[in-house]
Amino acid sequence: MTEENKPVKQEVIETEVAMGTVHPAALEPYRVRLFVEDEIVMDAEITIGVNHRGIERIMEGLPVEKANALTEKVCGICSNAHIWNSVLTAEKGLGIEVPERSNYIRIIMGELERLHSHFLFLGHGNEVLGHETFSMRVFYLRETVMELLRMIGGNRVQYGASIIGGVRPRCEIDEMRTQKILEGMDTLEKGILDFADRFVLDPMVKSRTEGIGVITQKQAKELEVTGPTLRATGIAQDLRVTMKEYEDFDFDIITMDDGDVRSNLLMRALEIPESIKIIRQAVKNLPKGPILDRSWEMFDCDSIKSYIEVPRGTLYHSYAIEEGRVRGSIIRTPSMSNIGAMQTACIGDHVTDAQLCIVQCDPCFTCTDRAIKVIKI
Amino acid sequence: MSTITIVYSVLGVICTLILALIVGTFLPGFERKYIQARIQQRIGPPTTSPGIIAPIKFFFKENISPNSPVPSLYKSLPIVCFIVVLLILLALTPQMYFFGALASIIAIVGFLKVEKVAYVLMGSLSKSVMSLGLSFPDTVKGAAHPNTEKVYLEDISSNRAFRMIAFGSFPFYLALFIPVTITGSIFLGDIVAYQQANGPFIFTLAGFIGAIVFFIGYMILLNEYPFNILKSKADVIEGCYMEYASKYRSFVYLTKGFLMFTLGALFSVLFIGIPPNIFSWGIIVNILVAFIFSILMGVMSAFSPVFTYRQFYPVVISSSLLGVLALAIGLL
Repeated sequence: MTEENKPVKQEVIETEVAMGTVHPAALEPYRVRLFVEDEIVMDAEITIGVNHRGIERIMEGLPVEKANALTEKVCGICSNAHIWNSVLTAEKGLGIEVPERSNYIRIIMGELERLHSHFLFLGHGNEVLGHETFSMRVFYLRETVMELLRMIGGNRVQYGASIIGGVRPRCEIDEMRTQKILEGMDTLEKGILDFADRFVLDPMVKSRTEGIGVITQKQAKELEVTGPTLRATGIAQDLRVTMKEYEDFDFDIITMDDGDVRSNLLMRALEIPESIKIIRQAVKNLPKGPILDRSWEMFDCDSIKSYIEVPRGTLYHSYAIEEGRVRGSIIRTPSMSNIGAMQTACIGDHVTDAQLCIVQCDPCFTCTDRAIKVIKI
Repeated sequence: MSTITIVYSVLGVICTLILALIVGTFLPGFERKYIQARIQQRIGPPTTSPGIIAPIKFFFKENISPNSPVPSLYKSLPIVCFIVVLLILLALTPQMYFFGALASIIAIVGFLKVEKVAYVLMGSLSKSVMSLGLSFPDTVKGAAHPNTEKVYLEDISSNRAFRMIAFGSFPFYLALFIPVTITGSIFLGDIVAYQQANGPFIFTLAGFIGAIVFFIGYMILLNEYPFNILKSKADVIEGCYMEYASKYRSFVYLTKGFLMFTLGALFSVLFIGIPPNIFSWGIIVNILVAFIFSILMGVMSAFSPVFTYRQFYPVVISSSLLGVLALAIGLL
């Protein structure tokens, strides 16, 4: 549904349909209140906070390395991104230049995690769509990524790859691992292109996803949408282009024009080959040399900020260092910026499509559950 | 009629019902394990699990009192549905053709309507904890539209069941009347006799189109993907059935398998001319039709997303038009 066709918000709303905090269509606990008229959503309100764990508060006063390890627990999907950004924050403050080889390994881990996240998104999206077969097949593909992550990081979810000064020695990529990564990339590339073909050609899926949950470019800018959800509206914005870690890599920013569920699902499917391209380049051009530099010294520094592009958008970490300990840590995950888009996307669509409209923004509410103070501008 | 004939007929009906129950318990498991799971490249549940083991397990579980304004009526509805399906099958057995109007298309339509109305009642009488039953105010400070009337997820499902009565079951009922237009009789006995004399309707143009329409109606009636908006996981979860536990849920599962067999038998009667009768080899055809239908349904379900009204209306309208076409051909 285009922006012009969407019904205008009315004062009189027939009924409220509340879903959650536990609902089978939601991967994580959150509550959504849908205000409906004749099963069409007129307004939506998402409430989070059920899974708040106070990680920033726990980080307060912890040694920097311990605090970094703790950030990995923020999210079960982009755990590597959190520890990577947290480590980058410290490295920025302490002026540490990491060995080039370790940077490449971090990139490989980061892109594998993007693959894992995008596959999870596609699997979950298709499940909410009611297409179990697509969902199952995507999850099978995701297994290849999970096994590669386990091979490098030692675990399927928490890898602990990045540490200050480089990556852990167990995450070294040798000949055998290189071979397995390349084989995995071939499997994934074939699998995702097959999936994308079937997805595009399926008329029933097209009918369910096209014109549903539309977010226009204007709305996306107003709502400060980030990541693939923003790119699905046609805005080519990807922080990786400006990150110095990605300077050596050639990849395209994928955009779609419609900002609907179909665009969002296809966006992620088409971003997967780009990540595969980056991983192949990283493996092929993996520099020789050490993966860890221990010759750094800890000193106090004021609040340091670091932004990186993670699977769902821009991730922000900041903290100050005082006597080797973390002070005033702040973490902002991309889903925080996208909540507004989730609410807006539901409006004007059928109540059965509401969860799909939320899922299209790839929410990760568990990592978004942070103590914040909203300041009205 | 001699006593021996009566005893023979009663025995025939009872044995047919027992066989139908046994076959019916395998059908959901067969569909889920050998069709859907195979397509999705997974192992799937044991064949006996959805139809037999799960009902037995649920039957001996402790019941949780449902959160309903009329608990006794609410609890009785799955049993009512089971009895209705039993009556449909009873009406299909040749021994019952003797009862005239009770073994007619009109009776079948009436029984099916009772089952549909039961869904509406189930949904409207259920108040689930999954949607509104929180014991504390669940709107945060500054929440939007604080005084809006709230509905339970089952209420939405109930409304949808009502819409199904209004338009969703059109294709199925049209398909039921195609044999009536050809034979000129509403009695099942006449429909079967006509086909035994002139060959099955499925091999005629009207019958073939009718069979397609019947199958679409069959899937809508069973609330299977893609027509499962009554119990879509994306919003209403289990819909009308949400609060059923223990033996009541056991009846829900048993009824589903039994209904799958019964609708297969109905197709055999209307389009092939072979009624379910334990004393005839024709019962094999009934069983085969039930399995073929579950295979087709499994394939369709595995490759379809849930339909919302945007997809549902065109499917119902086009299949209803096909049904009307078949009726017209039948009349000619």
